[in-house]
Amino acid sequence: MRGLVVRLLALLLTGTLLGALPSASPSASAKPGDEKWKTRVFSLVPSPGYPAYVHKHTNGRVYAGTYVAGDRQRSRVFEWGRGGALLRSWTVPGQLLDESHGVQVANQTKDGRLVLLETSRRALLTLDPRTGKFTRIATFPEGSVPNYATWGPRNLFVTDYAQGIIWRVLRNGKVQQWFAGPELEGVDSFGATGIVYRHRERDFLISQQTTSDGSADPTTGKLLRLKLRKKGPGRISTLWTSRPTDLPDGIGIGRSGHIYIAMVGLTQQLVELSATGEELDRFPDVPFTGENGSKIPFDSPSNATFHGTSVLVANQSAVQGDASHQAILRVEVGERGRAPHLPRSATFRRR
Amino acid sequence: MTHEPRVEHPLDLSRRALLGAASAAGAATGLGAFSLDEAGAAEGAGEGAGRQGPLPRKVDVVVVGAGIAGLVAARDVAAKGFSVLVLEARDRVGGRVLNHELKTGGDVIEAGGAFVGPTQTHIRRLAKELQVPTFKEYNTGNSVYVSSTLGRLEYSGTVPPDPTILADAGILLTLIDQYASEIAVDAPWSHPRAREWDRMTLRDFIRSNAVVNPEGVSNLIENWTQPGFGADPRQLSFLFTLWYVACSGNERNVGTFARNSDTEGGAQERRFIGGSQLIPLRLARQLGDSVALRAPVKKIVQGDGRVKVHTRRGVVTAKRVIVAAPPPMVLDIDWFPRLPQQRRRLLKSQDMGKLMKCDAIYPTPFWREDGLNGFGINDSGAARTVFDNSPRDGEPGVLLAFVGGDAWRTYGRIGKAKRKQAVLEGFAAMFGEQALNPVEYTEQDWTKERWTGGGPTAIHAADGSFTRFGPAIRRPFRRVHWAGTETSTYWSGYMDGAVRSGERAAVEVVERLR
Repeated sequence: MRGLVVRLLALLLTGTLLGALPSASPSASAKPGDEKWKTRVFSLVPSPGYPAYVHKHTNGRVYAGTYVAGDRQRSRVFEWGRGGALLRSWTVPGQLLDESHGVQVANQTKDGRLVLLETSRRALLTLDPRTGKFTRIATFPEGSVPNYATWGPRNLFVTDYAQGIIWRVLRNGKVQQWFAGPELEGVDSFGATGIVYRHRERDFLISQQTTSDGSADPTTGKLLRLKLRKKGPGRISTLWTSRPTDLPDGIGIGRSGHIYIAMVGLTQQLVELSATGEELDRFPDVPFTGENGSKIPFDSPSNATFHGTSVLVANQSAVQGDASHQAILRVEVGERGRAPHLPRSATFRRR
Repeated sequence: MTHEPRVEHPLDLSRRALLGAASAAGAATGLGAFSLDEAGAAEGAGEGAGRQGPLPRKVDVVVVGAGIAGLVAARDVAAKGFSVLVLEARDRVGGRVLNHELKTGGDVIEAGGAFVGPTQTHIRRLAKELQVPTFKEYNTGNSVYVSSTLGRLEYSGTVPPDPTILADAGILLTLIDQYASEIAVDAPWSHPRAREWDRMTLRDFIRSNAVVNPEGVSNLIENWTQPGFGADPRQLSFLFTLWYVACSGNERNVGTFARNSDTEGGAQERRFIGGSQLIPLRLARQLGDSVALRAPVKKIVQGDGRVKVHTRRGVVTAKRVIVAAPPPMVLDIDWFPRLPQQRRRLLKSQDMGKLMKCDAIYPTPFWREDGLNGFGINDSGAARTVFDNSPRDGEPGVLLAFVGGDAWRTYGRIGKAKRKQAVLEGFAAMFGEQALNPVEYTEQDWTKERWTGGGPTAIHAADGSFTRFGPAIRRPFRRVHWAGTETSTYWSGYMDGAVRSGERAAVEVVERLR
């Protein structure tokens, strides 16, 4: 999966997909002296690096997986305390090391197990941090690239980066195609990434990195809204359109309803949207440099997971592969996050 | 002072001999004698708090070992509302952290772990909570380098200006920092070159990469490894060495050789006012009746959803156990069922370093008047690496020699009078004849500490054991969890690592008890 991102970014850098980069202009919303957007290093991510996403557990601790590993290295899952102290790590078993292999801590179950998406076997695993036990729950169909996951009504819903599909994973591990549409198809399979279920609004927010509808600039991404009907998916609509080369990725939702999205593409920014998709702010003001005031610049920031009044951002360094940039960054946003939807049914049958 | 039987090679003792000796010591002093007082607690004297009489039959969690790691784990577990009992074999708390009260003026110096520095935020936060302030290690003026070929030189900075080793030192330290930056602190064995480096000694690495004077630079690096590991480059796995450097940082700062080895900006930057043992002493005081001294653990039996811990003072049943003892001591416990093979082999492969600290006390730190900071390195002799170990106010003046590795092998096993003479001659070579006439001399040989077996940390030889067995280092064994500085991901071997390991073990246990 990350290999695809690298390919895409490389294409962008060489201009293959890119007509012209937008000019770097400061955002009008910048407020000098405002502590909002203050960025600190939460933790460097040990080798093999490449954190893909950050999960804030209901136990208060923080988890991330390594999305790419070296040739023969297995992926690992890291655990940090609330303040960023590295506590434990687990090595992912059963990976196909000859394949592209990585793991993302995508969510958790109600009973505290981590939900992992593993790429080499297209597998959904759980990891119980209390015991260190991994369990294989599901396997996604060939050709799929499971990317992000959210609990929705009763089940887990998973985006597919390579295909315009939302998968539903039942409690027994059965994988069903729940939604498919051209809106989720990306250029050269660079498709859907972040997904969040908004319980009150009864909709999914889905970030889409590129546009394959023949529009002038295929590097323009979207935030899509997929409404729920009683018995399935409803209408899908565009809530927000990104700038070229943004490549919107992981999503966090504040208590205000504001939506925070990481731009894993060339602009290297966090974007704040209103609940209705109006773009309110970007950070840093100047795109492309990633300069955020901390000692590690944004370098493929991939998500915005709430942690107190800040968001934790997995800084992948997907293209440069700069290990010194592969870190979890903590960005103050001035509000607490809305608790991710985690119903009682959010679990899988024990095996 | 505790008077323990002198043991040349404590690791060679059989378990039963060890336990027998412990029992004899316990019988001689009587059960229920405790030393948690700050004054005089350092070496077993004094009466203080702590559990008297019989041990409780049942607790939620037993912690084995009242060093910093064990006490932190116990405190964190207790803070979550669970009952806890710390079992300590000795008549004191602190493990490898030990205060020594000088006869001269009653000041306190450290006979064990002493220094703290940047990125060691866990021990410093704990010390702050316990109101144990720090002071900066005296570092004004020049250091001294004594070379067999160049004689005595004064210098500033990290590496002495020896033209025969400067270039090589630059190359080697750059490579070490570069490689260390690639090492995962939680899993050094996962590095693509891990197996290769774990079969290579630090000395092999030096010889392969030094261009001008491999022997000379290897000798210089001994001045780092002898105090830091209690070992010499030929005894250290290169992978283990790189990991140790990688650990010399924190989650926000990559570990570097300089941060490990330096005084200013490094791990030797500060000491604690009143001595580092104040930290475990105050932790133990907080825990009060939950700390039982002179309670060496003989046997740990797991089954029926509980753990029975057999001690010199009785049997305690617990839901979970945290073992926070030095690796070789864990092997001296009878385990039922047996320890998993990987852990057993890991423990067998972890040898404690050979280290003693020798301090000479003078009315004043006279070297400071000569513009010297009291730090010195010598390419030979008993006093290879020397620090100013004076209390904060500089009175009395104290010079400290780390006698580790081969220096310990040469000087640790001769009589005390001869060793003292050799150490003082080493001080004199650096700071002048005045050093030959201290008002007091004291030494602490950690290899003779029965319940530690060496110091400052457990090391891995270049036998591939670190890669083969390392992954077991924090893996719980049924209801038994592991703490101790060696299990830390940052600052392993240091007080900060001890705190970190205790905190992590407590997290593990608490989440299983809920």
